Amino acid sequence: MTSTPSWLDRFVDGLPDKGWFQFLARNLVVPYWVWRDPRPKLPGGPRSAPQSGENLQRMMNLIMPLKDPSPIGRAKAALVVAQNVDEIFAGLDNVGTVHNARFLLLGNNLCMISVYDGDFTNYIRDFIATIGSVFDAIMDLVEGGDDLKPTEQNIERFIDWVHAHDLFQVPDFPTDLFTLQDEARGLTGRDHSVLSLPRDYILQFHANPDVSLGGGYRAYPGVSAAQIRESQGMGW
Amino acid sequence: MDSPDTPPPPPATPQSIIDILYREDGDRAKRPVHTIGIAVRGFFAPSSVASRYCRAAHFQPGRYPVIVRFSNGSGCKDPHDNWSDVRGMATRFTLPATAGGKKTYTDLIAMTLNEFFSKTPDDFQEFAWAARPVPYVRQSAWRKLLALLRLTLPLRDPYPGETISPDLGAINYATTNAAARPGVVEAAGIGAPVSYLRAAYHAVHTFIVTNSDGVQRPVRFSWQPVLGVQTLDQKAPYDPDPEPGNGDSYLQDELRHRLLTSIGKDHPRFSLMMTIGEAGDALDDPTRPWPPRRVRIMMGTLSVHEIVSDPDADCERLCFNPGLLTDGIEMSADKVLKFRVETYKLSGRMRGARECPFSGASPDDVHP
Amino acid sequence: MTAGYLVEDEIGIVQGNILRGYKLPYVRHLVLEVADRTAARAFLGAAVAGDNPDVPQITTEQPDRPGVPKATVTFNLGFTWQGLKALGLADQELRSFPTEFIEGMTRRAAKLGDFGDSDPCHWPSPYRQPDRVHVIASVYATDEGELNTVQDQVSRSFKVIGVHNGYALPEGKVYFGYKDGMSQPRFVGFHGSGPRDGKNHRIVEPEDPLGTVLLGKPTRLRDLEYAIPQPDQLGRLGTFNAFRVLQQDCFGFEDFLTSTAELLQKQGVADRLVGNEHAKLVYPELKGRDALREVIAAQLCGRWRTGMPMQLAGILKSNPDAQPSNQFDYGSHALCPVGSHIRRNNPRGGEVVQRIANFTRRLIRRGMCYGHPLDLKRPDNLERGLLGNFIGASLGAQFEAVMCDWLNLGLNSPEITGSNDPLLGANTVETSWFDLNLWTEVKPKTIEKHRIHGLPRFVTTRGGAYTFLPTVAGISYLAGLRS
Repeated sequence: MTSTPSWLDRFVDGLPDKGWFQFLARNLVVPYWVWRDPRPKLPGGPRSAPQSGENLQRMMNLIMPLKDPSPIGRAKAALVVAQNVDEIFAGLDNVGTVHNARFLLLGNNLCMISVYDGDFTNYIRDFIATIGSVFDAIMDLVEGGDDLKPTEQNIERFIDWVHAHDLFQVPDFPTDLFTLQDEARGLTGRDHSVLSLPRDYILQFHANPDVSLGGGYRAYPGVSAAQIRESQGMGW
Repeated sequence: MDSPDTPPPPPATPQSIIDILYREDGDRAKRPVHTIGIAVRGFFAPSSVASRYCRAAHFQPGRYPVIVRFSNGSGCKDPHDNWSDVRGMATRFTLPATAGGKKTYTDLIAMTLNEFFSKTPDDFQEFAWAARPVPYVRQSAWRKLLALLRLTLPLRDPYPGETISPDLGAINYATTNAAARPGVVEAAGIGAPVSYLRAAYHAVHTFIVTNSDGVQRPVRFSWQPVLGVQTLDQKAPYDPDPEPGNGDSYLQDELRHRLLTSIGKDHPRFSLMMTIGEAGDALDDPTRPWPPRRVRIMMGTLSVHEIVSDPDADCERLCFNPGLLTDGIEMSADKVLKFRVETYKLSGRMRGARECPFSGASPDDVHP
Repeated sequence: MTAGYLVEDEIGIVQGNILRGYKLPYVRHLVLEVADRTAARAFLGAAVAGDNPDVPQITTEQPDRPGVPKATVTFNLGFTWQGLKALGLADQELRSFPTEFIEGMTRRAAKLGDFGDSDPCHWPSPYRQPDRVHVIASVYATDEGELNTVQDQVSRSFKVIGVHNGYALPEGKVYFGYKDGMSQPRFVGFHGSGPRDGKNHRIVEPEDPLGTVLLGKPTRLRDLEYAIPQPDQLGRLGTFNAFRVLQQDCFGFEDFLTSTAELLQKQGVADRLVGNEHAKLVYPELKGRDALREVIAAQLCGRWRTGMPMQLAGILKSNPDAQPSNQFDYGSHALCPVGSHIRRNNPRGGEVVQRIANFTRRLIRRGMCYGHPLDLKRPDNLERGLLGNFIGASLGAQFEAVMCDWLNLGLNSPEITGSNDPLLGANTVETSWFDLNLWTEVKPKTIEKHRIHGLPRFVTTRGGAYTFLPTVAGISYLAGLRS
């Protein structure tokens, strides 16, 4: 039997919108749960899958914290990219599997956002092979970069570093997060109440604060960069 | 009907499923689910590339009359359009007459959920039993507070006048049955569209289409509204004395109003998008939606013109069926899809619908 | 920069069967678990020293010496990451290995196309417990008695959790009827230089730097060097191997050739198939549909089943006894379909989307057949196939790169992107396709494509592991571990 809501019901219903409750949630409730049931940081980049559609037009969101995020440091970063942009574009032409790529200075980070086909390790490896020296210049600008120079002689570690700085892609179907978190902790076949989905997301965002929300929109999914060039008569 | 405490034993049959689906507040003379509906007439025009993928008649150049029934998923006989619910769009395409002058048809049945709850009819029987409506009990304030402190979702309050909870059983079932989770999560939060013409409808099951060269492809169909998807703001306070267009039947009212005022070429449209499955995709599993990274083909446009003149003959007593296919389209091995064919036939007979088109009765008896 | 060839103290420490293959008729791969670390290490020490009659000696790559016969029994070891850990390698050194090797082949299944029937959850023992697969010991011999002797010796120091017996088919063939192992990398400073190869064919294919296979040597990609796993004694001049048990559906393959031949005849295109003109040179005794099947088999692979590459078959006109050669390339009007097995996995100098990748993703392949003998006239459901070893300095840059971008997906050319290798690929009947080459009807004759659909999966993965093949210096290091 449904009754009309009492004042207590209405009070509790309104809690999520109250500033003081949100403050409490942020500073007490969430840290409690982070301590009690933490989730591991999930790896970045698109997840391996056998379908061609999953291996074409994949998103890379590489976020590299700047050593010097002041205006002077940013000007230096902008200069390095501008001086090397011809080499970078020539390198991307030779890699042959990149649809588009751009560099952003966002917050305290230098970001490289690109869409590519195939496996990301091949993309990065081939990219280093043609323009390694440019990447060394970029590694000068970012935290942890010195350790990886010269990139041509540290390919495996550089690829691992890129993987670690590529953003986690939140699954397109929300309940898939249960599976990802279970796999990361070596568990299988567990019960999950769908009502606990918000907590799992909140805890995951504690471990992975910066994410890509889903795999993104594509106007023409399932085709490679070379296929588009060929079908448009541009040669590849 | 089984007593409330004993679930029906497998195997599921069309009769056992229909018995579970009928609600106390439903109507045995009508459909057990998607009870409330309204039908419209329109046309389907295929795109210039459709015939490359499928040799079915309605994908060859031309313009084909359609009847479309929009519906609310609920089995309750009273309309509550603004309550959160899955919506349905069942389309019957009229195909060119055969050499003998006999008209043929094909159906495409779609709903606003991207996936189904179960892989097999037996699993669906279990789910339908577990998710059968129970009396709605508002979650107490203390339990809600506890839920908030546990960073989980408090249960939705009943709408004013809502006495049956449609979600609770499903949510509990999904805890132990992983395959049902995507459907349950999407259904629980689906809300209400501002118009039947402003929702996206998915046929969910995989079909196999064949083109004139004999090449076959596994595909899934979806209708995308050209007007764009928009849902009702569910947090707006409920108005017990609504303006026309805001009440319990606002969706049907809105549709009538819009079609009366749409002039000339300004007919509301849907695009038929066909997504092609790939090696490694679950072709026969309707609980797994395909991600948006598959090749999708624009197969044609459906335009909605007018409400049907006879809502009884042309809507309530029509028997749509997902198995009513035509040369060029076949069912995949999806077990639920196959099961639906028989279940829809039985339901049609039970409510005295016009002879199902499979029966071989004269075409003049069957269709407008 | 180190020397591009093997210097004096490097000669004789690399394990055999890497730079040059053994030509022995039988192999046994023993899958081993390190149950007793001390016993295992003692075994390794004795295997390097060769001074214990109860422990087989590791066979190394030795220069041929006149009057000295080649070995008739050989013994080699490969270690998985779990195996190195079980032997007690230090944490810091374990971390210096590449990520794909640390994860192991089982966890890389999605990348390698091992799904559906090939999914690791279907792999038989011992591969269902990949963390127990520590060492793969490979014994090649001329008779079975020798294999048993070595197995006995090994089983005293390791737990034998899996055994694979392999054999060579006559004429160097493998199941599916093709002559295999035709094209292997030839190494600078190793296989001898000069304009002609060992079979007196003029050399067209460039030689590969030793760094393609041995860690620490220069690679083809100019300044790129692969990291040498630590410590240097263990990692230097070692190499990585992808060992795979590949079941082949021979009857399914023959049925597919027959049904495709029938289909092409029904479609009226059979007489325009590229390669028809060479069929009577390669198989003068075959006619009609039998010949047509061989043309289809040639287009799917890129070589006729005799081993003759499609690109070179014309040579048989003037020299009917010409031996299959490895010296050819793909131009813009190549006879060989772009999607054929050998072309998509080794595009040679032909056009490749990844322009820098020509000749960089090379693999040494050492494979032997396994399973029940085949009688094409008596169909059965018994298991048979290939025990494959795919060797290279970097699993990620070579084996995995070929598997996930070229063999499957076909990213090397827009003409085949979205399709998988017709022989080895992760095909499902509902979605697969392959473009055969046809001669056009109008003159002047050029090549046009004809798509066939519905190729089933012919090869199913039944197990495997990533192993590291150290030099004997590296194995000595492992023998000397104490902890």
